[in-house]
Amino acid sequence: MIALYREGTSPLHRAPAGAKVLVFMIVALAITLSAENPFTVPVAAALAIIGYLAAGLGLGTLLAQISVVRWVIVIMLVTQLIFLPPLAAATNTGRVLAVIVLAALITLTTRIPALLDATEHALGPLRRFGVDPARIGLLLGMTITTIPVIMGIATRIRDAQRARGVPVRPATFVVPLLILSLKHSDELADALAARGID
Amino acid sequence: MTSASEISFDGVSVDFGDRPALSDVSVTLTERRIGVIGSNGSGKSTFARMLNALVLPTTGQVRVHGLDPAGQAKQLRRRVGFIFSNPDAQIVMPTVAEDVAFSLRGRGLSRAEVAERVEATLEVYGLTEHSAAPAHGLSGGQKQLLALSSVLIGEPDLVVADEPTAMLDAANTRRIGNHLLDELTQQLVLVTHDLTLARRCDVVLRFEEGRLVERGEPDFVVDRYEREHA
Repeated sequence: MIALYREGTSPLHRAPAGAKVLVFMIVALAITLSAENPFTVPVAAALAIIGYLAAGLGLGTLLAQISVVRWVIVIMLVTQLIFLPPLAAATNTGRVLAVIVLAALITLTTRIPALLDATEHALGPLRRFGVDPARIGLLLGMTITTIPVIMGIATRIRDAQRARGVPVRPATFVVPLLILSLKHSDELADALAARGID
Repeated sequence: MTSASEISFDGVSVDFGDRPALSDVSVTLTERRIGVIGSNGSGKSTFARMLNALVLPTTGQVRVHGLDPAGQAKQLRRRVGFIFSNPDAQIVMPTVAEDVAFSLRGRGLSRAEVAERVEATLEVYGLTEHSAAPAHGLSGGQKQLLALSSVLIGEPDLVVADEPTAMLDAANTRRIGNHLLDELTQQLVLVTHDLTLARRCDVVLRFEEGRLVERGEPDFVVDRYEREHA
């Protein structure tokens, strides 16, 4: 779900990671706070299209990012349609989708170490309150890294259950997923300790 | 070998709750390539993990290259690289180059120095073309080469590999085995079920039921192990 860096030389690729994250945060906040404004979604969509084109990624990459989260979007939309008028449900979902694809634009044009450095730098002043910026940066990097691992575990469980003719149900799927994810986290903790990270 | 590359266990026992994992192990090792064999649950992985302070002794004393794992874990982990059997569990950063570079964080190197060392290391292990690729997308053998790169870029004095070929096919087992046994200049502790690899070490230790039952010339120890488990 979190896009990986794509090589490029566009202005977006060359822009400092900290500046990109700051601009993204301001835009995301504006999108969130202007829920009532009917122009929010079209403007956010235009911004995303311009951003992907300016980064040289093309509209295909934008559509691929939307495709990755399609089920999340469908679930969001359907649940909101139960309680809200169709236009409000579509607008809310559109705002969330815009924030997701704009966030993906940041990770597509920024190397993870640069993002981690920017995060650590931004959190630097919090050291006096006992916050460890390096640890938070590491946590972010590992979160991004672990997503494909968890997806791989989920696929293995589904395949193993299908191979035994067991229908895949939430109850029979979630428990092994949790157990194997915890096992992976134990192994990862050992690997981190072995590499000198406590 | 000088005493600086000496591993010594003196009356070491490890208990996990009520279960003894290692019982009264005493041994001194200065050989460069040390093989460790034994059945599943025999204590060989516990022995290996103690070398990196991932497990500490319940009783007895361990010294690794002059350091005490119980009190000097941080210094020890800078000097002892550890390779696990599951390559997926060793990947910390999203791409190949980032994961290798991660091992150099906090060492006060400039970005250019880190990039240069990463590039050189990836070249040695044939991973240059995968530099920007997602690390989890590599094959099993490539992931284990990545783990090896991530460990060796830190220039450890001792490399501990705990069943590094357990999840690999024959070709990758040979490739990783050759890297570890023929190309490393560091001291190596290789825990393995692959007796062909064990035979290529300078000395082999054999564990059974938490005890070190044999230490000696590789062919002698492995032959006896094979006879007993035939």
